[in-house]
Amino acid sequence: MDATGYTTLTRQSGLMREMQSVANNIANVSTTGFRREGVVFSEHVKRLEGAPSISMATATARQVDLSQGTLSGTGGAFDFAIQGEGFFAVQTPQGDRLTRAGSFTPSAEGLLVNMDGHPLLDDGGAPIFVPPDIGPVSVGQDGTMSAGGVPLARIGVWQPVDPMALRHEGGTVFNGGEIEPVDTAVVLQGQLEDSNVSPVQEIARMIEVQRAYELGQSFLDREDDRMRTLVQTLGK
Amino acid sequence: MKALQIAATGMAAQQMRVDVVSHNLANMSTTGYNARRADFADLHYQQLTRPGTIAAEDGTMLPTGVQLGLGVRPASVSVVLAQGSLAMTGGDLDVAIEGAGYLEVTLPDGTAGYTRDGALKRSAEGLIVTADGHEVAPGIVIPDETRSLSINASGEVYAYFSDQVQPQLLGQMNLVGFTNAKGLEAIGSNLLRETEASGPPLAATPGQDGLGTLRQGYLEESSVDAVREVTELIKAQRAYELNSKVITAADQMLSATVQTR
Repeated sequence: MDATGYTTLTRQSGLMREMQSVANNIANVSTTGFRREGVVFSEHVKRLEGAPSISMATATARQVDLSQGTLSGTGGAFDFAIQGEGFFAVQTPQGDRLTRAGSFTPSAEGLLVNMDGHPLLDDGGAPIFVPPDIGPVSVGQDGTMSAGGVPLARIGVWQPVDPMALRHEGGTVFNGGEIEPVDTAVVLQGQLEDSNVSPVQEIARMIEVQRAYELGQSFLDREDDRMRTLVQTLGK
Repeated sequence: MKALQIAATGMAAQQMRVDVVSHNLANMSTTGYNARRADFADLHYQQLTRPGTIAAEDGTMLPTGVQLGLGVRPASVSVVLAQGSLAMTGGDLDVAIEGAGYLEVTLPDGTAGYTRDGALKRSAEGLIVTADGHEVAPGIVIPDETRSLSINASGEVYAYFSDQVQPQLLGQMNLVGFTNAKGLEAIGSNLLRETEASGPPLAATPGQDGLGTLRQGYLEESSVDAVREVTELIKAQRAYELNSKVITAADQMLSATVQTR
């Protein structure tokens, strides 16, 4: 059978995936600390029996856009944003995870936890304990938390040893594999980092995907016409 | 086509954000009300090709794989624990809390409730009660002959009588603090209830343990910032429209598929 159908099909299903990634980015346009994702297409070459090889397109990889999101002031004592590279580390039952969503609260046990109840880790990888009734807590740009001039802990800023190991896991956390501390990051108190999704860019991409998809469909249509005419002509 | 469902989760999330904003705006003049904020988190990821999969053709390892997100979910609606501004009322039984504490009240079922609404009243029996008639702990009785009341910063309630020069100490009002005040459960009527997440109440004299002091003749206004809420509303509305655009586009792609012969 002619390979045109397959070639177009791989492209179309890849575009569907890309549409899904656009939809996910837009759905998370107001998710604190969300990093936008893209799909990368690559050529997929297949050798055919007794014919030249054909080239198809597959969505084989995905990229996480780690650029800085805008910061919005909340005034919350336990709302933190990282300026520059790096992530906060939180302890989950599945192991340590990375996140840029810096909204934390002291739990009833006195641990500083995120919205899902996972404790925030300090620069040594231990959960940060905030004693009750400690008074106002201030955080310096290097992440040092102090209350009344007494240092409490230093918020750890981490990055994966292998940047390619970063995987989205839902709940704005990433699995970074092996992680190492970052020294240069600036931690800001009373600020939260917004999602880095740019609505304009996403809509542009969405229209592009949509048009490319429609183009593919009309191409299939025309290919079908061509075959039909061929069969009819030969059948006469 | 998952883009439709994903965009639907986005629309639902923005709708919830509008709900939170409208609740805040509705409570713009509620005494002691703290603004709420909706937080979101992305949903789990569908693994189409796991990162680290060995490619069949040439044996290389795929460094990132293909994971597609499935949308957004509301993660929490948290309370913004900022002090509201104080409005002068001059009322004897109007107390504003300057700091992080709460007043404890006894609910009709006998359990304790907590409030920052200091618009207190005197009940028919002479007890200090909230506007809804809940008794304020520890149950201070104001005698009928009282001419005026004085509540000082540390919560001592004094009564002045026509026939006495010296004021008489009626009782001591306490404040209650929580390790995680954001974990309190709101039950309406400016009342909050203790939960597992908030931790147990820690009672103290006003001015101690960082719980703040009392100020007679003032009420704490709602901490809702109208400008901020309206900005939030516009953002939510635009994000909602963006998501609906995705639904339209996804639908057009689907219809292109269906119309193909």
